[in-house]
Amino acid sequence: MSMIRAELEQQTAHMKRKSIHKSRWKLFRNNYDLYLLLIPGLIFLLLFKYAPMYGIIIAFQDFNIFDGFIGSKWVGLGQFAKLIHSDEFYQVFNNTLLISFYKIILLFPVPIIIALFLNEVRRAVFKKTIQTIIFLPHFLSWVIISGLFMNILSPSGGLVNHVIEWLGGTPISFFLDNHFFRSVVVFTAGWKESGWNAIIFIAAIAGIEQEQYEAASIDGAGRIRQMINITLPGILPTIILIFILRLGYLLEAGTEQILTMYNSVVYSSGDVIGTFVYRQGLGQQDYSFSTAVGLFNSVVGLILIVSGNELSKKLIKRSIW
Amino acid sequence: MHKKTIRDRSLDLLIYLFLLLVGVITLLPIANVLSKAVSDESAVISGKVGILPVGFQLQTMKYVISSSQFITSIGISMLVMIVGTVLAIALTALTAYPLSKRNLPGISFIMLLFIFTMLFNGGIIPNYLLMKELHLINSLWSLILPALISVFNMLVIKSYYESLPESLEESAKIDGASNFTILFRIVIPLSGPVLATIALFYAVYYWNDYFNPMLYINDAGLKPLQLYLRDIVMDADSSSAMNKSADDMMNVSPEGVRSATVIASIIPMLLVYPYLQKHFVKGVLIGSVKG
Amino acid sequence: MAMNYKKWMMATLVGGLSVTSLVACSSTGTPGASSITPASKPSAEVSKATTEPKSDLKTLQIWQKDDYNTYPVAKYLEQKTGYKVQYDMLPQDKPEDKLNILIASGEPYDAITIYGSTDFKALYSDYAKKGALIELGPLIDKFGPNIKAVIDPEALEAAKVDGKLYAIPTKSISNVNTSLYIRQDWLEKVNMKSPTTLDELTAVLKAFKEKDPGGNGDKNIPLTVKGEAPFIDNIAGAFGIPNFWNNVNGKMTPRILDPAYPEYVNYVADLFKQGLLDKEYAANKDATAKEKFTSGKAGMILLNWSDVPTIADALTKNIPTAKASYISALKGEDGKAGLAAFRGFDRLTFIPKASKHPEDAMKWINAKLEKETFINMTIGEENKHYTLKDGTYTPIQPIFSEERNAANNFLTGSDDTNYPIYWQARVRKDMRLFEAWEFMNKKEPANTKVEDPLGFAPYLPEFSKSFQQLNTMVGDYTMKLVFGAEQLSGLDAFIAKFKSSGGEASYKEVNDWYTAAKK
Repeated sequence: MSMIRAELEQQTAHMKRKSIHKSRWKLFRNNYDLYLLLIPGLIFLLLFKYAPMYGIIIAFQDFNIFDGFIGSKWVGLGQFAKLIHSDEFYQVFNNTLLISFYKIILLFPVPIIIALFLNEVRRAVFKKTIQTIIFLPHFLSWVIISGLFMNILSPSGGLVNHVIEWLGGTPISFFLDNHFFRSVVVFTAGWKESGWNAIIFIAAIAGIEQEQYEAASIDGAGRIRQMINITLPGILPTIILIFILRLGYLLEAGTEQILTMYNSVVYSSGDVIGTFVYRQGLGQQDYSFSTAVGLFNSVVGLILIVSGNELSKKLIKRSIW
Repeated sequence: MHKKTIRDRSLDLLIYLFLLLVGVITLLPIANVLSKAVSDESAVISGKVGILPVGFQLQTMKYVISSSQFITSIGISMLVMIVGTVLAIALTALTAYPLSKRNLPGISFIMLLFIFTMLFNGGIIPNYLLMKELHLINSLWSLILPALISVFNMLVIKSYYESLPESLEESAKIDGASNFTILFRIVIPLSGPVLATIALFYAVYYWNDYFNPMLYINDAGLKPLQLYLRDIVMDADSSSAMNKSADDMMNVSPEGVRSATVIASIIPMLLVYPYLQKHFVKGVLIGSVKG
Repeated sequence: MAMNYKKWMMATLVGGLSVTSLVACSSTGTPGASSITPASKPSAEVSKATTEPKSDLKTLQIWQKDDYNTYPVAKYLEQKTGYKVQYDMLPQDKPEDKLNILIASGEPYDAITIYGSTDFKALYSDYAKKGALIELGPLIDKFGPNIKAVIDPEALEAAKVDGKLYAIPTKSISNVNTSLYIRQDWLEKVNMKSPTTLDELTAVLKAFKEKDPGGNGDKNIPLTVKGEAPFIDNIAGAFGIPNFWNNVNGKMTPRILDPAYPEYVNYVADLFKQGLLDKEYAANKDATAKEKFTSGKAGMILLNWSDVPTIADALTKNIPTAKASYISALKGEDGKAGLAAFRGFDRLTFIPKASKHPEDAMKWINAKLEKETFINMTIGEENKHYTLKDGTYTPIQPIFSEERNAANNFLTGSDDTNYPIYWQARVRKDMRLFEAWEFMNKKEPANTKVEDPLGFAPYLPEFSKSFQQLNTMVGDYTMKLVFGAEQLSGLDAFIAKFKSSGGEASYKEVNDWYTAAKK
């Protein structure tokens, strides 16, 4: 009995597969024009992205630019071992994760809130002014921004410490205190990019059908309920997309930013993988080590993006691909 | 339409206050850079300049804007930005469309191919060799071509395409429209806000890019603004000071000049922004087309 | 699809590799890509060069604010030497990366001028060893009489790699650049003299803090220093450690291994603890420290003399009664004193194998060293850009600054006997500048000027490789000690780490060279 059933099952499965195969072929044939549309993009991808990909092999070499990609010495996983076995690795890895987590948890919702709130503003002038102002910091480089915040947060005459003193506190050396340094990093990153990151959500909100709001207000839904029941679900795909992609950069905690802000006194809270690698590479043309670390970050990033995508597919039936 | 309830009013108050706070926090440091650009250099050095200029002067600004290198480089940047944005938005919008059809065989694999390149790249040396092979060193195409598709931007457009009601395309298909017709007649016209946003992203990317020009452009006459700006801002930075002789130290640009260059480089963006903003703020009324 | 993709990958991979092998070939073999007549090519070009008009040259320079091509010096040189030169610039940000790529990919520059600092010297030696550069000896014999006549033979010798010369060195003018700058009016208010010993310095700083000469209440910052200077010049000199390497009983010793290191750290940490040294020392950027000094909050600052005019202007604008000047070299307990002076190369100019006109490049470099051309290139025309009186060159402003400010970047070798004298014209642009420079370099006793002992050392591979990293490591550690984030009890552990990170190998290498050179 069970034998027959198994056989039957196999047969139907085979037929199903065949028909899937057939319908897949049909789908392909019927939409050949869509595949044609992909050609320019694929040429771009192969030429400018995949063709130079052979450069990754230097992560497994002790690369010397004159010996080239074939002639350089192979060291296998030596570069990765160098990273993981260095004394500072544990601290640096820990800092990277902490700063990244803080940035994600605290900063990810900010642009969404800004976008949601801006959507509620009816005064056009106010709305446009705010929208223009908040994206400006995106155009300033970290060197400039660090300089600005060092002044604002300075314990001798900085605005913030004036306020602290006025409230009866003692001035805080934000850039020299391991309790505060990470907060400064997270806050300034938020300051620089929140407004800019809001743009995408503003655009997503603009894409929501207006009818939904009209219907809801006829039903007597208040604005808060409209925000939660219409706007938020309307931009949910965008939120998920950005969130999953954000996970891919978990190990990039803001190298350029921290390089302009930190000093040896706050290494124990602020030294991250990127800054550590930068110091290790000073004065040496060590392409291999930095490539290896980059590869390490990318592999972790890819795993996070793929699992984030799968998780979201399972939990809320939405995914990037 | 309705009478405002007290809850609505307090919500309004909260929203306006929050946004006002965000706006002020953002504006203060910018105002500081601007003030430094138009203040007396001595006041800048001694940190007297807050959000208002001290010893107002426009000489520095004039000096920066009238420098021949600034004028050339701003022209280069404009050119790269305009050509780059147009080409990039076209290619990205077209490529995103087939990728939004998830049920098509092979599509998710191709999507993965794209996503892979968000994280992995060959590094600067192979990229330089590629450009050399293509004879694009010292050509503005070397700044435009490698950035024609940003996978992030493509995913945003793709996600937008996917959010369009399926019924639209289906009814068109029943009427016998080809995929191309659907894309150009229905999908793209409906994608105004997202395309405006992505156009802004590309424009800003091309505008802000200093890395590709640093690598691929040697000719001083072809350097875009951001490279010029970065060099000037870095001039006072410690990491480059190590190599400097006394002569170099005497020639470092004063902070006022650096601030003025920063401000001058933001102005063109401020001019472009309102035009794009108009599009993505208003949005497109899908309903009106749908009927 | 997958098949196609694989093929494509292979094709581009091979393409990429062929480019790299071509690079390798051109760097070890013949210049350029045309390898039809490998050995005879250079001589073929000689005959061409002599019959045809002078070829156009392409050079690569370090970054400067103004475009080289439109700078007045470039025009002057073109007219004077007859060579039309196209100048490209390296970026300011990580110039080494770009330079590497340009050299390795065989970009046909006829002359490349880079910095002469340790890391760039290492790059140069690397290129020479890899066969990417043209040996200049024979070319100099043929076309470089001026080079032989005016460039310091010691510098030429030091620029050699494995006994052969591949670069024309531009010797840097040996200057003391940095020292402590003090508010004279504060000194007067607290009734003290400018400090001459470490003890006096402590006493003065204490008075600055307690007697409030600046009228800042408890906010006085007696001494402010930028965080990039963990070894405070002048103070470090008083402990006998003005440079990275110092002579300790006949051995070249890095600061961290110097017996005086703990004493230095204790002294500075003590200043810090007493509130005599800026609380924000480690976090201070250059601009922050200057801000504190010019706004009247700080009584003393570590300052480069090139900053004196701007700082003095800003200071007197805020506090019209303010007066400031440098203090002399401080003496330590055993009478040690010293101010670090730069010694070595300012620039190195080499001709890559990929150059299409190496001989013309050499002729051009030689022509720039013609006496009259050299003066005009560096400080301009007499009575137009400068005046000459009693052997003193004084600039005429503003034309001097407008047309010759960036002249130093055009140097490809210099008249090493006369240039230091011409050069003073550049310092006389502003008398305050001149006085500051003169005080440190001419008025101080000669023995306080301590030149970098490794300035003209040959290429030391181990040391060059690890120098920047070791320097950062030691600097970071020192700063932590001053701030109490590390304790001196951990010094041995740190030294072990220093040694294993390349410090040991560098020490051996440097001392091997030093003992050999002394003989």
